[in-house]
Amino acid sequence: MREALLGWQFSGVYLVYAAIFWGYPFVWLLILAFSRWRFFGKPKPIGFDNFVRLFQDPIFWRIFWNTMNFMAYFIPMVVLGAFLFALALSKVKYFRTFFTLSFLVANVSSGVAYSILFSNLFSETGPVNSFLYKTFGVTIPWFSDPQLALLSIAIIVTWKFIGYYGLILFAGMQAIPKSLYEAAELDGASKWTQFWRITVPLVNPALTTVLVFAINLTFGIFTEPYMITGGGPMRRTLTFLLHIYTTAFQRMNPSYAATLAIVTGALSYGCVILVRKLVEREVHLT
Amino acid sequence: MRKFVWIGVLLTLVTLVGAVTLTFWTAPNPNQEAFWKPLVEQWNKEHPDVQIEWKTIPAAGSSEEAILTAIAAGQAPDICTNIFSGFAAQLIEEDVLVPFDEEFGKDFWVLVGARQMESVIEGWAYKGHHYVIPIYANPMLMWWRKDVLQELGYDKPPRTYSEVYELAKKYAVPGEKYAMIVLKGRNWWDRWFDFITFYYAASGGKAYIDVEKGKAVFNNEYGKKVAEFIYTMFKNKWTAVDWGAEFALNNLRALGSLMGPWSINWAKENYPDVYNNLWLAPPLVPDDYPTNAPIKTFADTKGLVMFKSCKHKKEAFEFIKWVFSNPQNDVKWIEKTKMPPARADLGTNPLFAKFMEEDPYFAAYASQVGNAVPPALITTTIDVQEAMTTFLTEPLMYLKATPEEALSKAVKEINKLLW
Repeated sequence: MREALLGWQFSGVYLVYAAIFWGYPFVWLLILAFSRWRFFGKPKPIGFDNFVRLFQDPIFWRIFWNTMNFMAYFIPMVVLGAFLFALALSKVKYFRTFFTLSFLVANVSSGVAYSILFSNLFSETGPVNSFLYKTFGVTIPWFSDPQLALLSIAIIVTWKFIGYYGLILFAGMQAIPKSLYEAAELDGASKWTQFWRITVPLVNPALTTVLVFAINLTFGIFTEPYMITGGGPMRRTLTFLLHIYTTAFQRMNPSYAATLAIVTGALSYGCVILVRKLVEREVHLT
Repeated sequence: MRKFVWIGVLLTLVTLVGAVTLTFWTAPNPNQEAFWKPLVEQWNKEHPDVQIEWKTIPAAGSSEEAILTAIAAGQAPDICTNIFSGFAAQLIEEDVLVPFDEEFGKDFWVLVGARQMESVIEGWAYKGHHYVIPIYANPMLMWWRKDVLQELGYDKPPRTYSEVYELAKKYAVPGEKYAMIVLKGRNWWDRWFDFITFYYAASGGKAYIDVEKGKAVFNNEYGKKVAEFIYTMFKNKWTAVDWGAEFALNNLRALGSLMGPWSINWAKENYPDVYNNLWLAPPLVPDDYPTNAPIKTFADTKGLVMFKSCKHKKEAFEFIKWVFSNPQNDVKWIEKTKMPPARADLGTNPLFAKFMEEDPYFAAYASQVGNAVPPALITTTIDVQEAMTTFLTEPLMYLKATPEEALSKAVKEINKLLW
């Protein structure tokens, strides 16, 4: 009895915290999603109307395809980049911490600050385009071409996360026993074969982690399009989070924004499950 | 003696407890704060029974966001400035604003007369009532680089689309320099400062949305002329999609742009070359626009509202009346903010003559207040202008649709939103 009381006392702090900062907003989100409310008065229940509207909303589908398109750019780029970074890091003998930290600087810099930086750097009149124009006589409309803008943002986000994801992959690689490589060497396997037959399969847990992180990230992109493109050109860089924000606070429609948030959450969860089904394998390192 | 002290203390307590307190929010802008601070102090000194608790709108993503959050939390102010038309319409639809004409009747109209707001206030009527007292109206004007135009042989800035085409043929080199900035950006509010301004100029101030019928009406002859102008400029590479961080009138990548009066001080501080070499002119018009007719433009205008949750409406209105029926306060407003007050007598009232003479740029803007038309009072401003961007200006700038196609598609999409 006394022990149970003690247990409640310990967990109570967390439970109260979770109830206030997790439970309450979550319940409120659900209430909002099934009602009509515009900041004033009491929410009016309207059943599934918000959801019906959402699936008929062309902007929702535009964002859905933007997100898929973004993933098609971002995930191969970031996984490949992070792999190369991890491989390079495992080859480096000196200043390893220095290199790691240099790449992590991108990850900890302020999104607003580097967004301004990139938008000036790559603007039509910025240094990059001036250089291209002087040397080759062409400019690249990084942020003003509908298709290219999404790719440019994917490149920025890749830049930000290569170091972090690379470090996860690096840790995964370090966990692979050296003896496996030695044995392969004795059997006459080339470096290439070793990479595909040993490194790639055994780094699977780390790779799955990176993929799950990258998917979650894709559904949560906000700062870069908000600061650089404002969702344009032609709504091609509009993201779920950007749309949720403007719907709640500029269009004054928090209940529809809540619906969007729930559907976004469900979609990202669905993608994570799918990727785990496709990629994740049982790995025994010992 | 002691008795008197006690009585004194008691009296002060009674007045303090009995005093009405009103919360009043204004724009978080240093110039406007410099205007309101001494004014509120003076009122509080003169009216111990009605105390104003003055604050700037709390820092948040936007004023609108801060006000909405305050309302949702039951912390709404009694009166608040910095309300733009679309936000006012949303608040009115939610039934949280006091209709001044209904609540205060004759008093309201006396104030309108005292501040010469009869013509200005028309654009602010919503379903036959007045919920907003306009504070300032910023007309949009064209800025032209005088020095370069003079070198090119001009003695006055271009007035019509064809004159700009002529200028472009003389000056523009694709990839290097262009005639003018035609579109101001990708944000929803940028449409106020390009398409809508040009449309008002071309049509003599006709509405782009029929608010009563809830229909977009800009796919008419005027809209077509504006769309064709935008399309022609992009097609011939006489204007650019993206201008970079530096003001294009400074590095001479462009010679002209639509600008608001709020940019005057900005240019003075950051781009003195531009500031010292400017011609200010009304927005461009189609070639067949009558030469002697006044050219209308867009008014970026903000106003003051009173919330229904206000418990002391009479006292709050007394304060509003006290501020805005005294033209001296508008003089101070100009001194501090350089923005034209929303009154029609700026050009005629001797009180303002000083500013009109001293500062030709301010004079140019102030003289256009009567020609400046506010935006359509609709609740869906953001969606409508976002659709305008996606279906009208962006297809035109990327040459993805002809002017006719873009106009009819945009109107169709906007009508879906207004329905």
